[in-house]
Amino acid sequence: MYKYWEISKTYMKTQLVWRADVIFNMLFTITKILFAYLLWGMVFKDKDVAGMFTFHSMVSYYITSSFLSQLEMFSGISNEIYWRIRNGTFSKYMVIPVGIEKYFLAMEAGVVLFYILFDFIAALVWVFIFQIDFTFTNNPVIIVCAIVITLLGLVFMVQLNYLLGIMGLKYQGIQTFLMVKDNLVMLVTGGIVPLALFPGAVVNILSFMPFYYVTYLPSMLFTGFCHDEAFSGIFIILFWCIVLQVVINIFWEKNVKNFEGAGI
Amino acid sequence: MVNLRKNMRVLKEMVHLRFNNLAVSRLDFFAPFLIDSSLFLVQILAFKAIYSNTDRIGNWRQGEMVVYIGTFSLLNAINMVIYFFGVNEIPQKIRSGGLDLYLSKPISPLFRLTFENISPGSLPLVALSVCIILYGINILDINLGIVQAGTYIFWILLMEILYYDMEVIIRSVPLYTVSMARMEQIEEAGLGLCMKLPGIALYGIYKLFFYLIMPYGIMATLPVQSIIKEMDLWTGIYGIFVVVLFSIITCIIWKCGLKHYNSASS
Repeated sequence: MYKYWEISKTYMKTQLVWRADVIFNMLFTITKILFAYLLWGMVFKDKDVAGMFTFHSMVSYYITSSFLSQLEMFSGISNEIYWRIRNGTFSKYMVIPVGIEKYFLAMEAGVVLFYILFDFIAALVWVFIFQIDFTFTNNPVIIVCAIVITLLGLVFMVQLNYLLGIMGLKYQGIQTFLMVKDNLVMLVTGGIVPLALFPGAVVNILSFMPFYYVTYLPSMLFTGFCHDEAFSGIFIILFWCIVLQVVINIFWEKNVKNFEGAGI
Repeated sequence: MVNLRKNMRVLKEMVHLRFNNLAVSRLDFFAPFLIDSSLFLVQILAFKAIYSNTDRIGNWRQGEMVVYIGTFSLLNAINMVIYFFGVNEIPQKIRSGGLDLYLSKPISPLFRLTFENISPGSLPLVALSVCIILYGINILDINLGIVQAGTYIFWILLMEILYYDMEVIIRSVPLYTVSMARMEQIEEAGLGLCMKLPGIALYGIYKLFFYLIMPYGIMATLPVQSIIKEMDLWTGIYGIFVVVLFSIITCIIWKCGLKHYNSASS
């Protein structure tokens, strides 16, 4: 465990090298909130409630969702692993005395721990600037459940991106697929609009999918909605993490022999 | 006239070479289509969800919004087909000194950079965008006359020039500075926002920013306003003014930038 904590600490320190990145990451969270503020500002001119949301609870949802999606910075893992497999430098991870997947988990934990404070400050600043009457649940059990689901969601995204990366062991070109995946994930994690605005049948289907629990459900729980899904949410996302781990193990066992250490 | 004929011959040769290159990796041929079509289809689904909870956003109903998304998709598709992959290489050519090769040839460097990486694989995206626009027009239930269609095409062409100007301006920054990573991030953020948010939703400082400083806000809004007959004379004049202004700025920035270019040490 100690060695993984050291990896996390190293990556935390590494972030300090690119200080401008930290500032710009904070600033660019505004685009999502500005989109919500302007678009929903127009919608709520004519009405007080849309779906289950008021204007302030809607913008609160976007601020929370933006904060959580900023923490999910793992899409680079797939590219990193894929290119290292293609050019042969993936051996770097094979020779060090750590589990490769755990290494990436520790690495991302370090990055998330570094950014969490800055993203939190950014969210507070936007609440203040846009003068939002921020809605937040006051139920401590729900807050704990939301935090657990968020953490499991982050683990799931690391696993997913790790799996997509090691697909480079078998498939030659996954770049296009990764970009299409990013577009679809943006929708099904409730990043563009809250999933609650979709027809009930669609929401029911999505609630069996893991992406529902990555940012959407935690954001809804934090802003005071969907309390009845808090406990079931933990078990469903945990189930998906286990399923994905099994898939990763099988895929790895079957395909790692394709890697010859000199690129594929 | 002689210059135009020479440029056309060069253009034909560049298209031929590009096809040869693309034939090597076939999946990459359709990659821009797959990526961008998924992006715009996601937008349509998102706005379908929004409109299932409200009748209108401002005075735009679902039809206008579908035409808006289709129009942005069309602008993006034409950009992808013709010049994006060429213009996108400008910063790298400046940093590596590869621009030398373009400056030493008897043809405009910007002309060659613009057209040497056309992407025919994005052509299906043009067709998909037209289908989205026609679907929107069908929802709007308007009879599209020749004049209206002509005006729309005129605005599309004009806004495509503006799109090109913006891309060249942003990618000419390395002629003056060491790094331009932030500029690309700003472009991405601005485009991402205006792709989802029509200009009619902007006001005050937001309108000033996205209508004049980074005019992504007018790019799809004005063609849509022309087709739904919502555009007044002053808006039209303003749109033309912005395109002319940014074309002049592009010329100045590019030409002055080339004077700052010091080969591989830039």
